[in-house]
Amino acid sequence: MTSTLKSGSSAHLQAGALRRFVATPSFFLLVIIFVLVIVLGSIKPAFFNGPFVIAPLLTGISIFTVVGLSQMVVLSIGHMNLAVGPMAAFGAMFMGLSYELWDLPLVLGLALGILAGAAMGALSGWLVARTGVNSFIVTLAMSFALIGLVPTVYSWLSAGSAFTVKPDGLDEIGRSSFSAICVNGACGSNAIPLIVIPALGVMLLIGYLYSHTRLGRELLMTGSNVDAAQLSGIPTGRRIVLVHSLSGALAALAGFLLAASTGSFTPGIGQEFMLQSFVGPILGGTLLAGGYVSVTGTLLGITLTLVIRKGLDLFGVGLETLNVLLGVILLIALSSDQIRLFFGRRRTRRPAQVDRTSPPPGPKLAQPSVPEEISA
Amino acid sequence: MSSTIALEANGLSKSFPGVKALDRVNLRLMSGETHALMGENGAGKSTLIKILTGVHRPDEGALSVAGSIADIHSPAAAMHAGIGVVHQERNVIRGFTVGENIVMSRMPRRGPRVDWPAVRREAKRCLALLDLELDPDTPMARLSSAQTQLVEIARGLYTETSILLLDEPTASISDNEADRLFRVVRRLTEQGTAVLFVSHKLEEVFAHCDTVSVLRDGRSVLESEPLSAHSRDEIVDVMVGRSLAALEVPERAVDRSRPPVLELSDVDTASGHRGVSLELRSGEILGLYGLVGAGRTELARAVLGLDRVTSGSVHVRGARVSIRSVRQALESYRIGYVTENRKEEGVFLAQSVTRNVAITVWSRLERMLGYVSTKSERALVQKYVTELDIRISGQRQLVGQLSGGNQQKVSLAKWLAAKTEILIIDEPTVGIDVRTKRSFYDLIWKLADDGLAILLISSDLAEMITLADRIAVMDRFAITGEVENSHDYDEMSQSIIRLIHGHAAVT
Amino acid sequence: MKRSTLAFLKSQNLTLAAIVIVGAALIGITSGGGFFNPISTRTFFLFLAVPILIGLAQMITLSVGQLNLAVGAIGGFSACFAGVLVADLGLPAWIGGLAAVLVGGIAGLLNGWLVVATRINGFIVTLATMTILTGVQYGLVGTRTISSTAWQPIVDLGKASVLGVPVIFWIALIVALLLSFAFGHTVTGRRLLASGGNSVAAQLAGISNDRSVIIAHAASGLLCGVAAFVTLASLSGVNQSVGGDWLLPSFAAPIIGGVSLVGGSVAVLGTVLASTILRLVDSARAEFQLAPSWVNFVVGAVVLGTVALGRVREAQDARRNAPPPASLSTRPELTPVGDPK
Repeated sequence: MTSTLKSGSSAHLQAGALRRFVATPSFFLLVIIFVLVIVLGSIKPAFFNGPFVIAPLLTGISIFTVVGLSQMVVLSIGHMNLAVGPMAAFGAMFMGLSYELWDLPLVLGLALGILAGAAMGALSGWLVARTGVNSFIVTLAMSFALIGLVPTVYSWLSAGSAFTVKPDGLDEIGRSSFSAICVNGACGSNAIPLIVIPALGVMLLIGYLYSHTRLGRELLMTGSNVDAAQLSGIPTGRRIVLVHSLSGALAALAGFLLAASTGSFTPGIGQEFMLQSFVGPILGGTLLAGGYVSVTGTLLGITLTLVIRKGLDLFGVGLETLNVLLGVILLIALSSDQIRLFFGRRRTRRPAQVDRTSPPPGPKLAQPSVPEEISA
Repeated sequence: MSSTIALEANGLSKSFPGVKALDRVNLRLMSGETHALMGENGAGKSTLIKILTGVHRPDEGALSVAGSIADIHSPAAAMHAGIGVVHQERNVIRGFTVGENIVMSRMPRRGPRVDWPAVRREAKRCLALLDLELDPDTPMARLSSAQTQLVEIARGLYTETSILLLDEPTASISDNEADRLFRVVRRLTEQGTAVLFVSHKLEEVFAHCDTVSVLRDGRSVLESEPLSAHSRDEIVDVMVGRSLAALEVPERAVDRSRPPVLELSDVDTASGHRGVSLELRSGEILGLYGLVGAGRTELARAVLGLDRVTSGSVHVRGARVSIRSVRQALESYRIGYVTENRKEEGVFLAQSVTRNVAITVWSRLERMLGYVSTKSERALVQKYVTELDIRISGQRQLVGQLSGGNQQKVSLAKWLAAKTEILIIDEPTVGIDVRTKRSFYDLIWKLADDGLAILLISSDLAEMITLADRIAVMDRFAITGEVENSHDYDEMSQSIIRLIHGHAAVT
Repeated sequence: MKRSTLAFLKSQNLTLAAIVIVGAALIGITSGGGFFNPISTRTFFLFLAVPILIGLAQMITLSVGQLNLAVGAIGGFSACFAGVLVADLGLPAWIGGLAAVLVGGIAGLLNGWLVVATRINGFIVTLATMTILTGVQYGLVGTRTISSTAWQPIVDLGKASVLGVPVIFWIALIVALLLSFAFGHTVTGRRLLASGGNSVAAQLAGISNDRSVIIAHAASGLLCGVAAFVTLASLSGVNQSVGGDWLLPSFAAPIIGGVSLVGGSVAVLGTVLASTILRLVDSARAEFQLAPSWVNFVVGAVVLGTVALGRVREAQDARRNAPPPASLSTRPELTPVGDPK
């Protein structure tokens, strides 16, 4: 009796989980990606070419998913990091330095670079927490400083503005596929690059953080309502510093993966990160306002944009069209975010009448809203 | 003088999530009269003012101005309909001058240009009405709060209005300044302006108003009646609803022989408290009563480590402590704080019930690698959902979808889950309908009976007299006295007033 | 008049002006006076117009508490659009010049409308429009450079000088004066500042904050259009890189110039002076043949410092001016009943 009840309720639970998944942006993205891949593949069978199309696509997805996660972690507390790209460049610069000038092994250089990225993140976070200035402005200023600093250091310390010494293992991570791994003569697919492993590792880590740990929960609560979080005993200042550091560390890791895939550390690393870093999480359902994140959604959002890009490549359409398309996708995705919020608001029956007259969300420090509280 | 209907509101209703702020409220303002609008906190006065000025739109009901239906959909539309207002919140632009703030709603202009001489002239005129010697070119940021309030009033006098709404205009100005305001009001009504005056101060209302409307719990309990037909006591009776004050109070026994769990001795704080001493025992409800800005919430913040204690000592369970953060207050000393602004500081509207309650216990549930099991979290939360009878469809439900009363229970539940022993509860029933209030009172008594030490902050005198065992009165950041609560409304209100006024006379 | 002179002396404009003078003198001395020869000064002022214009463009959006990431994209797109109109479609040069300005204004209007209609953070909206416009700009010109010979009359204007100073610098100064007047003395300008300073107060005074946001973005775009026009007049041609390096100076000038990042204030003179300092830094870099990234680093660090320190100063001001605690709570309370006496 009890056992049937139990299994019945767990089946019910599973059905509930499935229903909830179908309602998420992730499911929607999955369907679009699936359809897109089928359509692309049937028009251009070359799309399914393992080593030349699929492998580079997966490499791109791996790198940009880490970029997206780097932005997603700050979005979780309702902040932004506009310096994702420059922080990646800064971290990669330290890695290049440690390999070229100090002959450090792969792991040590990697650790040093990630630390450097985290330090820049910590500085942003500290400035935000301490001065109360909007994270947007602080990270923008930070990005300006780094955009100037990184090429300066390269022009100082490197020949030809790049660090090209490759420590052992760099090419294996960045440029080989599972075909290099053979067990009993059976080798892996050459369509799957090894670089997916670190990306998957990061996804699992961040996923675990947000779904199963105290810290992840506290970050989401801070994003939902920073005052209430503080009054509930969460050290919000420290959380802000921590999350910006994490963002810087992830950005540096993304810079490493990009450098590993191209084979050299250059000041240009990270130049394409900013837009992608927002598009991925936002398409995946992460809220700009904070309080909700989706790691799977970020992966799928990045995947969608890169599949589109690859498709455009196959049709010989230029980069500028991709840019236009990305911009339009971002606007549409955000409008759908608004639509979702709108429906959410309808459900909670929050008064909507102030919305037309209150100013739109802007980068204001303290955005006063018409108090909707009913007091005497 | 023949007076006509200047403004009429019929059957205005307005709901916010979880609470009906206004329920079929009627109001009739005659030209040339001063009409008092009274009611306790949360009675719906501000909501009514906001509807009359186009900030909120009513869910139901109609407004007419000077006999014709008016669609007041925005503040601009209200101005256009001849409704001027002095808002309760001081909404000024600190970067502008006094003059510009006064005339902002209708800038004197010459083509596209601001007519600065006219700005100064007009501002001077409005300031002169209040006998204010203030240079219109003074930067707003340089004014004191009382001066700011006066500028706010001057702004309401700027445009020629047939209807003037004054929302608590005298809350932070001196009697002298208030007298000038009333002279202006008298002049305006003589010229035929209808004035709606929102105030808590009975003396003012009886001295200056002709008619009165009283709201209680969002409903009209007195509709546009001549003030002369009512005594002060009658007005107070309908305002507080004596039925609530006469609630049956359970027999409660507090063991005073036990040492206090929380003891403040001679505490000064960075926010301005001087020599505050309080004692709170387990199982006791200590009420902290006071007027606007008396410093009660600030005292709570100091206890929690949010504001600095500059001298004096705080003892928790006999040990001298120095608390620097809410986390420390919670984890080391088991002190919790149910905030007064529920939506802004108390709950996370966009998060689930589970997370809202479990937030304080994650540190306890935490296993290796920071792991918190969702199962244990839910089980723990369920216990308090059941215990407090929080009405939800499931723990996944977002708190923003709950009613005000249930939100407040969620806000309380997290502190019970955290096993606090000292609980500061700040304005527990603001914005909660009268039926839910009663269940809240029962809950607070039960918590105290279970051994919790409760410091209750409330501006609702009836509530205070119903709930507390002892009442400490705070005025201007100092404790002016403490009384045992006899639960007799008349006796208690008298002695509490004496404590406030006695102190005022000394300083 | 006297009061404004006094305010000037106390303001940070004086500091900025002093930096400009000292900086110019230092460069002049180190260059052995070469910096002050007519050709050098001409070049200096010629390439000062765009930094001033884009700094002011950003200042306008900051004044309402918004910002415009698409400053460079709007400018680059407008310039290339005009280039294509004139060089490829054979329209008269002046029509092209006018089109550059108008297209900038329309793009800004679109930004503002999107921000208001979608309620999306202005940063994200302008990030998206920036990406789109950059893409369209590339689509228009591809990898080629359209030579300025196609719009010779505008180039002639760029070469013209009045009182030894290039006409296009005068254009930038006139725009600055107009803005100063608009924010100081027109009803529209004061309304923008009111919306930026306290949106609730503005709303209660019957001002439409949405309208303020749209006007600010449109005006910002219009100034980017003027900057595009100036580019047409001063560069030897336009290509896909025009506008690519405008973002940093557009933020740096108003921030260093003393514009509040939370809205509600403008500093036209400060922005112009800060732009001049940025231009001096660039001249110094050219003088000492340093890498261009040096300028970015210095400016970035200065901006970061200004932001951090500026906020601290604001916080201190706020504390000093804060009303006494008695007024912090706005909730009224029941005055006790009866007369105690």
